[in-house]
Amino acid sequence: MDPLQHVRLNATRRHFLGECFVGLGGIALGGLLGGQPMYAQPANATADPLAPKAPHFPAKAKRVVYLFMSGAPSQFETWLWRPKLREMDGQPTPDSFLDGKRFAFMERFTEQRPTLLGPQRDFQRHGKSGTWVSEVFPHMARVVDDLAVVHSLRAENFNHAPAKLFFNTGSTRYGRPSMGSWITYGLGSEASDLPAFVVLRSGEQNLMGGANIWGSGFLPTAYQGVEFLRTSDPIPNLSTPPGFSRSQQRARVDAVRDLNRARLAAVGDPEIATRIAAYELAYRMQASAPDLMDLAAESQTTLDLYGAVPGKASFANNCLVARRLLERGTRFVQLYHTGWDHHGNRVNNLAGKLDEVALAVDRACAALVTDLRQRGLLDDTLVIWGGEFGRTPMGEIQELPGRNHHIENFPMWFAGAGINGGQTIGEVDDLGFFVTKDPVDVHDVQATILHLLGLDHTKLTYRHQGRDFRLTDVGGRVVKRLLA
Amino acid sequence: MRIWLRTWPLIAGLGAAYAAPGPPLSPESIRFFETHIRPTLHSQCSQCHNDRLRTSGLSVASRDSLLEGGTRGPAISLDRPGESLLLAALRHTGSLKMPAGGKLSAPAIGAFERWIELGAPWPEDAESGGRGEDAVHWAFQPVARPTPPQPSGAEWARNPVDRFVLARLRDSGLGPSPPAPRETLARRLHLDLTGLLPSAEEVRAFVADQRPGAYERMVDRLLASPHYGERWGRHWLDLARYADSNGYNADAEREIWMYRDWVIDALNRDQPFDRFVIEQLAGDLLPGATPQQIVATGFHRNTLLNLEGGVDFEQYRVESVTDRVDVTGIVFLGLSLGCARCHDHKFDPIAQREFYRFFAFFNSIDELSGEFSNAQGRARAFEPILEFGTPEQYVRKNALNAQIEAMEAEQRAYQKELLGRQDEWEAGLTQEEVSGLPPGLQVILRTPSGERLERRKEILRNAFLAQDPGVQERRKAIAAVRKLLPAIPSTLVMRELAEPRPTHILVQGDFLRKAERVLPGTPAALPPIEGSEPTRLHLARWLVDGRNPLTPRVTVNRIWQRYFGAGIVPTSNDFGTQGERPSHPALLDWLATAFVEAGWSLKDLHRLIVTSASYRQASGHREDLAATDPANRLLGRQARLRVESEIVRDLALSASGLLAPTIGGPSVFPAQPPGVMIRKPWPESKGSDRYRRGLYTHFWRTSPHPGLMLFDSPDALTVSTRRNRSTTPLQALTLLNDSGYHEFAQGFAARLLRETNGAELSERLSRAFWICLGRAPTDAELSTLRSLATGQLDEFETHPERAAQVLTLGVPPGASSHEVAAWTAVGSVLINLDEFITRE
Repeated sequence: MDPLQHVRLNATRRHFLGECFVGLGGIALGGLLGGQPMYAQPANATADPLAPKAPHFPAKAKRVVYLFMSGAPSQFETWLWRPKLREMDGQPTPDSFLDGKRFAFMERFTEQRPTLLGPQRDFQRHGKSGTWVSEVFPHMARVVDDLAVVHSLRAENFNHAPAKLFFNTGSTRYGRPSMGSWITYGLGSEASDLPAFVVLRSGEQNLMGGANIWGSGFLPTAYQGVEFLRTSDPIPNLSTPPGFSRSQQRARVDAVRDLNRARLAAVGDPEIATRIAAYELAYRMQASAPDLMDLAAESQTTLDLYGAVPGKASFANNCLVARRLLERGTRFVQLYHTGWDHHGNRVNNLAGKLDEVALAVDRACAALVTDLRQRGLLDDTLVIWGGEFGRTPMGEIQELPGRNHHIENFPMWFAGAGINGGQTIGEVDDLGFFVTKDPVDVHDVQATILHLLGLDHTKLTYRHQGRDFRLTDVGGRVVKRLLA
Repeated sequence: MRIWLRTWPLIAGLGAAYAAPGPPLSPESIRFFETHIRPTLHSQCSQCHNDRLRTSGLSVASRDSLLEGGTRGPAISLDRPGESLLLAALRHTGSLKMPAGGKLSAPAIGAFERWIELGAPWPEDAESGGRGEDAVHWAFQPVARPTPPQPSGAEWARNPVDRFVLARLRDSGLGPSPPAPRETLARRLHLDLTGLLPSAEEVRAFVADQRPGAYERMVDRLLASPHYGERWGRHWLDLARYADSNGYNADAEREIWMYRDWVIDALNRDQPFDRFVIEQLAGDLLPGATPQQIVATGFHRNTLLNLEGGVDFEQYRVESVTDRVDVTGIVFLGLSLGCARCHDHKFDPIAQREFYRFFAFFNSIDELSGEFSNAQGRARAFEPILEFGTPEQYVRKNALNAQIEAMEAEQRAYQKELLGRQDEWEAGLTQEEVSGLPPGLQVILRTPSGERLERRKEILRNAFLAQDPGVQERRKAIAAVRKLLPAIPSTLVMRELAEPRPTHILVQGDFLRKAERVLPGTPAALPPIEGSEPTRLHLARWLVDGRNPLTPRVTVNRIWQRYFGAGIVPTSNDFGTQGERPSHPALLDWLATAFVEAGWSLKDLHRLIVTSASYRQASGHREDLAATDPANRLLGRQARLRVESEIVRDLALSASGLLAPTIGGPSVFPAQPPGVMIRKPWPESKGSDRYRRGLYTHFWRTSPHPGLMLFDSPDALTVSTRRNRSTTPLQALTLLNDSGYHEFAQGFAARLLRETNGAELSERLSRAFWICLGRAPTDAELSTLRSLATGQLDEFETHPERAAQVLTLGVPPGASSHEVAAWTAVGSVLINLDEFITRE
């Protein structure tokens, strides 16, 4: 057996970046072992957890970028045009829509019967498909023929944190792996010196659900999402401590490696080889990650397309970083932008705050689709846009116009790999309360994403506490109409 | 957990297994039943109508039970299929309308019509056949008192533990490893018992001490160290899902560090484990409970708390109580009771009804619940709590509260008078002023006052008050006095409601779908509990009454796991039928018996394990073991274990000489990289609080300190019995570059230069090695370090300006900055070694 291969089999377990032994910079690990297997491999350490794995069937999508609109955008001001709701603006909500239903902030509704709130923005038809798009999204309107807009999503829970958990992990309870973790577990990593699953955040508000929504749950830590930060170090502790030159840092890393090798030779624990590899990769990441984040390398045309400004923390910059990650082999990039929880108070409302958040995302969302297409990446990249639930057709009684949480219908759109764009899916009643045709559940979305990546959601399982778990729990069916 | 839905197609291949009564089975009828009937019965009916619950006397578990029916008579009639009660209930034609969750679709009902028409063919199912009721699962059997075996070579054994281990090795034709070098043993013991480095002098003294009992004396000294309670307390806190915040999206800060300190103290004074358990589960119910016994009940107040806007408090209270059942089951019984929340447990003998009987023990805490409105609930969100103020603090608090009350009364009177002028204000508003107001207010103002909704009037009233300078001034003044209120330390505890809250079975675990009421009780598969109406205190006593075989087994197994990397039962959270079998069942029982008979002393158990020859073995690789026992389940050697996240920090701190050894107190905020916190305050600690042990780091559940999470700290959302041991590049970046570890390396450099003042390079390097690794370097290691040190010394001598940048803590008195900077680099390399963060 090739000694390097042997060490690889033995050693590269449990760390989150694959291909650790590819391009080790000429470190003669083989020589260390004298070409002889020094120890047999432990049974649980036979495979690199991040080695690329074949999908269950040929995949349409090689990578995914998921634009998560955190806080739950209102369908009535974005993608769902309800003229009838405008006609009935200010009228009491028909009883039939409220009886037996539970809402967040229930007491606001039980004190007084709420009234309907007409759409706060105008809509127009766009593209060949004639899809209705709100005036807050002029740029997305221009790529609407690439999008498949689903109106008939339904959620399980009307509070932000549990609903976000459900979208990402298939359960409203903590402890399950996130979608990106499942995908990394199922397919491994194609990125040689970057993580396979990266998360980027923007927006000024609290990201409800916290880091658990990209955690690996009961899957090994190797599969968890890595958040890239909006600080000078996109990955924590990427920079060398002050005063050390690059050659001094190299000298430190070399000394660590040499002493670790000596210990490996003395005690033979393959975990030491894993650590040696982890240090090499860390050193490489110190070079590759700043390069990745350096948006000044992009042309002015591209920066303008996204509305990105190098050095600024923004959703637009994150979209551009996302594209750069996808180009470098990262498989699953998730962007969270907060600021969509438009209840009607001063911080969150369908007056000025809606325009602010729409302005922050619209151009860059459209740019990402356009840019991926121009670079030939859209054919095998899946782009997803959506929030954790929708908002009520009733208004809240507040200082400013706003809507409560609503789980009976909300929109998402899909574009790119394997998606039949330029269509709308699902129907909702005239007032926007309930789905009347083709309901799509969150587990269905998850099943569809996995399907596009070549994974059968019923077969991607992991045994934990005596039971086989999967992302879609006991539900999920692929939304066939979305597929090209 | 409808697992069998995925497995039933397999059953179709097992034709021979179907020996059921009823009409002859064809492949078609089997497929029909399995496709259209069984899934519906299972998902829609069996939550209430199963063999255990038999709601209204009916079970849908078999053809016979449907024919037999319930209190309303047979559910299906083969003579007159169309008139079957089941069909009437499904069609909603009579008074009985089923299922409770809503009418089935027409095709689904049609399938039942057809099925009964066919004579209700029912293939025997693999599930019920697979549940072996006859043989009692090993973990439920009473703990045995095995006699230690006498394998050949038993003179190796130092205590009975070793005879069990050796016998198992001999059975496999293997032998144990030689003892680890004395240097390794000293470091191993310190890391395992206190989580801090031994000093070089301690290691040297132990190596030199050839008198009998030297090792045992070190064990006793470490077990008596107050740092023992910190080390083992942190293991317990993993089980207790201890954290300093509420979790969920709001994730507000909570104060429960006194519970953490209680755990440390209880372990340090070696409180017997049975008392330790009783006080944590039910200290508040003990007769004449002391404040400390009540503090102990923080164990089950470590549940999450959802204060997100618009939540139903009852929903999350039910989640908390469910978590208490889960955690109690896993920590003390090694059983996943939580699996029976929505339906009977698929594998272990726990019925859904039994889950809710267990639930009832924790269901009457006087905590945030659906009985409170949003505002009321928020005001008492943390109740029940226990306060620990000084008399002076209460005097001051009362005085200030009285002052605030008086100010508020004055404010109310002022506002009342002011509101009399609201109409005047409204009338006086100019068109321009109105258009400057928020749109919502404009709408209200344009609505005639008689037609305004109550809530809108309130909004307007508040806006009117808020613009008045007098109101603003009073609000400011009251807020200023509030700020003076003394911060009285408090901690979350348990308190029982005066009237117990009734417990119901919740259909599919849904807090809105209450079924039959149940009383507190324990699962029938386990020994009976005392008392006709048992309380939480009875439950606590039942767990540790010595007859319950699970608690001692699960406990000794978990402790064993910390020493050997894996438990005798590797699935330390699952002793049920899906868990792994013990590698040494007799040893497990022997340890459990010894533990209980020694009065549940944890320190005695630790002493027993760490003085064994099995524990003292070398951890080095062995060719023969790697081939035959790669997972080391037979314990032919010790394990090399990367230490836990907190201990990684603690070791670096103890090498640095900066460690602040203070035990207990409010959590602290050591440095962390910028940008990681998700909108939570991180008031970075100054002074010695920067250098406290890892277990005191403030834990925000939604945004924990990255230094903890990167080294696999549990997320504190629920119980963790085992930690991962990952090896990642992000860990490397942390130890190489993190500002905290950079400070530790500087501290190390200062310490080393002080301790080796005037020494030559080799001696200094050797000392550095001894401090960090507790052993002498080999020649090769020394030469690697020497070339590193000389290179860095040269570099910083040539670039003094960079040396100054390195020294973020300043230059120690009497030292030259280029030297400190260079030795900082050397210290950092040692801290980064695999061996440094590994217990060998």
